[in-house]
Amino acid sequence: MNEPSLTEPWLSAAGVSRRFRNGRGVGPINLSVGSGEVQALVGPNGCGKTTLLRCLATRSRPQAGSLSWFGDSNRQLARRRLAVVFDSTAHAEELSARQNLAFFGTMRQVPGDLWEPALEEASVAELGDDPLSRLSYGMRRRVLLAEAVLGAPPLLLLDEPTLGLDVSGCQWLVEVLRARARLGLATCIATNDTDFVEQVASRVCFLVDGAAVRDAPPAELLADLGGMREIRLSYRGASPAARMLLVPGVERTVEAEGGLLVLAGPRDGLIPDILAALGDLDAHLIDLTVRDPGLADCFLQLTGRALHV
Amino acid sequence: MVRLRRPRSTQLWQLELLGTLARRRALTIKLLFPLVLVIPLVATGAPPFFAGMLLTVLIAMVGTVGTGVAVTRSRGSGWLDRLAVLPIPAWRVGLELFFAGWLVDSLQATLVLAVIVIVGRGDLATLVTTWMVALAALAFSGAIGLAIAALTDHAGEAMLYLGVLLAPLLYLSGLFTGVPAGGLRYWVAQALPFSYLDEGFQLLLGGNPPYGDPLHFLIAAVSFMTLSVAAAAALGRAILARAA
Repeated sequence: MNEPSLTEPWLSAAGVSRRFRNGRGVGPINLSVGSGEVQALVGPNGCGKTTLLRCLATRSRPQAGSLSWFGDSNRQLARRRLAVVFDSTAHAEELSARQNLAFFGTMRQVPGDLWEPALEEASVAELGDDPLSRLSYGMRRRVLLAEAVLGAPPLLLLDEPTLGLDVSGCQWLVEVLRARARLGLATCIATNDTDFVEQVASRVCFLVDGAAVRDAPPAELLADLGGMREIRLSYRGASPAARMLLVPGVERTVEAEGGLLVLAGPRDGLIPDILAALGDLDAHLIDLTVRDPGLADCFLQLTGRALHV
Repeated sequence: MVRLRRPRSTQLWQLELLGTLARRRALTIKLLFPLVLVIPLVATGAPPFFAGMLLTVLIAMVGTVGTGVAVTRSRGSGWLDRLAVLPIPAWRVGLELFFAGWLVDSLQATLVLAVIVIVGRGDLATLVTTWMVALAALAFSGAIGLAIAALTDHAGEAMLYLGVLLAPLLYLSGLFTGVPAGGLRYWVAQALPFSYLDEGFQLLLGGNPPYGDPLHFLIAAVSFMTLSVAAAAALGRAILARAA
């Protein structure tokens, strides 16, 4: 097998579309992932991330458009160079992590001396002989990820990779993906965990209702916000969303879990004005937090929709 | 604490087989289930026509349900998704899933025949040919199970399809009414492994079925086995393509 080219995209989608009978699905999407890139597909539930990832992972065939992996459209050849984590934890559940890993390692022709280190790095070696059915969901996700990153596949596709992982598991995954990028390996992630994406992604594609609304490096997306602030209000009483939009500098509001999310530009006196507006409504403020904007705010600014509600 | 390393499986069929062997309670019930039927039938000297029919239905159900429901469940759990993106061809996935199921099913069929041997029924030649035909019938049933697994995502629905498909096949095999000599019914029965298995069981249990030629049985067993293996390989793509 030839080494993948460093100049051509390792994963390329041109006008890829896959729609279900109810009209949901994804596309047309254009995407290109090259050596050392970590491409994130970000969007709310039902936006088509998983459908697109399944096409990119050779699992589903697009109804329109074309896909190529390492410059070739042959799916069977592509599978020699890619590894995939879907959102399930499917394994041979009665068998151990070592037995499962040995199977996937053999199938992907990964040398046996790399198997044990993979379990150790994922912190599952100690439980490696227990049946997977006895492990927690989080531990089974770790095994799944260990199997996928085993042998450093040139292209790695992950659907909701942080699902079920604890803080140390997420940190391990961040380090693995950064190390892969340094080695020039390509990764594609479908997720709505923007905190994770901010740590690893070199490009972010925002998806809404199956369409790509923006595809750019995270720094560029954050720069679009031009110094905006995310203000989260917890309140009791009538919703102040409409009133907040009348406050100078406030660009977007969206109801979120436990309160109202306000996206506002930098302006002196903004917070006192917001408090005054709340007072006008006779709404009782419980808490107010201000933070630097992140990718979730970029998504809100672009689409008017919250990623995390 | 020193732990014994579990055996490693480097092929899909080995992994599937080890998974089945690891479910000890389910495996025990699976192996005991045919014995619950065959022991009273053989020990009480049930009429060969009825005993042969029941044992053949049992073998047909074991083969179709074992493979069909297992593969349907594998799809539901996401296991087939994982296999589909491995660098192994779809025909090999189909063949290995089929083979793993067939091995366990064969153990069940062998136990049934072992009971018949233990109670001293039948001669060696008939026993060997019936065993061969039983293995071929299991393979044939397993291929039917795979075909049904390519049609549905639900184990309950798969069971329904299995019943709907097996009942006419068993009827056409002459299990319920016998097969007339010559004519279309005869040739249809000859094209189904269950007719041979039914006759084999009847012969073993002291019956006198009309077409009991051992060489004919062996040729049929090899033919059905070959056909089933080819069908399993061909169905690999359909099984993986569903819900893709």
